[in-house]
Amino acid sequence: MSAPELKVQDLAVKDGKGNWLVQPCNFTLKPGVALSIIGGSGSGKSLLVHAIMGSLAPGLRASGEIRLGNAASRAEDAAGRRPWWGHTLAMLPQEPWLALNPSMRAGKQVAESYRYVSHARMDMAQARAKARSDLDQLGVAAADGKYPFMLSGGIAQRVAFAATRAGGAQVVIVDEPTKGLDADARDNLLTVLQSVLQNGGSVLTITHDMHVAQVLGGDIMVMRDSNVLEQGPAQQVLENPQHEYTRALLAADPEHWPPATPGQGTGKTILQARGLGKRYGAHTLFSGVDLEIHAGERIAISGPSGAGKTTLGNMLLGLVPPDQGSITIAPGLNPLKLQKLYQDPVSAFAPRLTLKQAFDDIIRLHKLSPATLPRLLARLKLDEALLRRLPSQVSGGELQRLALARILLLSPALIFADEPTSRLDPISQQETMDLLLEMAAANETAVLLVTHDRMLAGRTMHRQIAIQHA
Amino acid sequence: MISWWQSLTFARRSGAILLALIVLAALFGPAMATDPVSQNLDRVLRSPSLEQPLGTDHLGRSMLARLVHALQLSFSLALLSVLSAAAIGISLGLLAAWRGGVIEAVLTSIADAVMTLPVLLVVLLFSAFAQGEFWSLYVGLSFALWVEYFRVSRATIKATLVSAPVESARMLGFGNLYLLRRHLLPELAPVVGTLMLFGISTAILALAALGFVGVGLRPPTPELGVMMIELFPYYEEAPWLIASPVVTLGLIMLALALLGGRKEMP
Repeated sequence: MSAPELKVQDLAVKDGKGNWLVQPCNFTLKPGVALSIIGGSGSGKSLLVHAIMGSLAPGLRASGEIRLGNAASRAEDAAGRRPWWGHTLAMLPQEPWLALNPSMRAGKQVAESYRYVSHARMDMAQARAKARSDLDQLGVAAADGKYPFMLSGGIAQRVAFAATRAGGAQVVIVDEPTKGLDADARDNLLTVLQSVLQNGGSVLTITHDMHVAQVLGGDIMVMRDSNVLEQGPAQQVLENPQHEYTRALLAADPEHWPPATPGQGTGKTILQARGLGKRYGAHTLFSGVDLEIHAGERIAISGPSGAGKTTLGNMLLGLVPPDQGSITIAPGLNPLKLQKLYQDPVSAFAPRLTLKQAFDDIIRLHKLSPATLPRLLARLKLDEALLRRLPSQVSGGELQRLALARILLLSPALIFADEPTSRLDPISQQETMDLLLEMAAANETAVLLVTHDRMLAGRTMHRQIAIQHA
Repeated sequence: MISWWQSLTFARRSGAILLALIVLAALFGPAMATDPVSQNLDRVLRSPSLEQPLGTDHLGRSMLARLVHALQLSFSLALLSVLSAAAIGISLGLLAAWRGGVIEAVLTSIADAVMTLPVLLVVLLFSAFAQGEFWSLYVGLSFALWVEYFRVSRATIKATLVSAPVESARMLGFGNLYLLRRHLLPELAPVVGTLMLFGISTAILALAALGFVGVGLRPPTPELGVMMIELFPYYEEAPWLIASPVVTLGLIMLALALLGGRKEMP
């Protein structure tokens, strides 16, 4: 059975004060053809698909028309599209972990969709059997009896996808499905989406990963600041972009960055680790890791997800005690000189404290000169007015640079950057990485980068250390 | 302040206004009203009039005066016990979460043990030491109520202490006091605020219940529960008399429930 055609006409979103959040746009999602919406954070991509679903936050108003096959619905009439949910139109939201019920086993959640949403009217035993075979097909049969917190990001994503699809919907919207996934998990998910397309379904993907748009093919729509800048067949947009912003977006892909010169650090030794090992219960994460970090050196830690890359970095910073081996910090080096950049910059700041307060507290604690901060912010291309806000009110890219500014105040000797850009769009990623490396080079700071993006690691770091399961 | 008010739902605004009116009556009423215990046997069980808006009881005492005094008593006792319970509960929760180990195990078992007893029973046990005394009710209420603050603050603080913001603050060199002030207490405040509203309603209700069954405060003290049982025999002749403490108690519960009630979904 092939999917009904989804046709969107003059769809727009405004906030309560009448500001445009999404300017009127038109597009058609044909069965068997993918459509990818790409663009920076805050460009209105997610709002657009929420407007299609009819799940906008209260206070936002949609206008325009949405047609699905023979049915038509005014965009304002969000409740009128509820009957489509699950049966014909389904959405996989961002962060599948949060979309799953934490207190229910994965297999049962998929079965629920079969039992209660699907039109097939099956009993629970049948639904359980269907759910098991779905999970098996997606290669996550082992997840059936597990709770969501026991699943890795990639697996949770596939479970959530199975639950999304179980209602029988042929038109599937996926919102940033590859955020935070490593290359293998990403390829797995792409295979799944491609099989939906091959079976006559249609897939609308929001992403800022160009690789995803390229593999899925079909059409591409580029958005920035609530506008659709460009749309057309994937090949045409990717190979011959018309708009300057699209070109910038494509150029910001690490693939196009100049490669870093490989080499061994020769500066003063900051830290020396011998035979490091860590295990959780009977499960050994890694063992026998030797590492020496010199001033100004850039090192990438690579390895499959779950191999303990972050744990190793935390161990070097003294946050996690090693089970084997030893770490020696250069004599006379203050532990405050070892700092960390977090994957999710929001989690590095106290949530209810304004940024200004957070910075003032540090300046007071370490008796720094208050004049340092404005200079530092200017170098990181940050507006001082941002400081008046709460961490949750600042965009991811800016907040990551603010987090960088905060640790630079202490002029660190080593920065452990734990996937600092995996949640950012390509342009903010490049900006953030460039600034990180520039500041590190200026202060002879060593950088230890954890990333699952091999290209990014190759383009920015001097050398890589690989860790594997023992 | 204005934007905070606008962010509240209709239910919470109504709760806040209602509670403000009741608290104002409790604060300033007693100073303006007449003596709540002076009797006048010439004019008993009068219906409401201009002079006596709520009528007079079976001993000719002014119902309005008795009611506002009862309000003041209930609120001050409830507030006092809730504040003490919160202070004790949060401190012990902090201690348990921070130190862990034996201290945490011991405190948690004590809290679990107290938790198994109904609030009313605990207060009853304490009031048996010194019946009808203000302090025994206060100690009993505080002892019954500290457990929830302990449990909530221990759980919140434990989770916050291992969170990334605290980890990064430690790495930046901040000490424990700073963590407490900027990270832990701001996380606790909204939860504890809601708990305190519910705690006040529990305390007021417990107080009235004890007064009603005659083991709480003693007559002639004006107290909601005591007033109810005193006026109970006259409900056929003068139903408005027993109505006033009952309705007042109902309004207090309503105001607190509206104000502390379910938050808006994000």
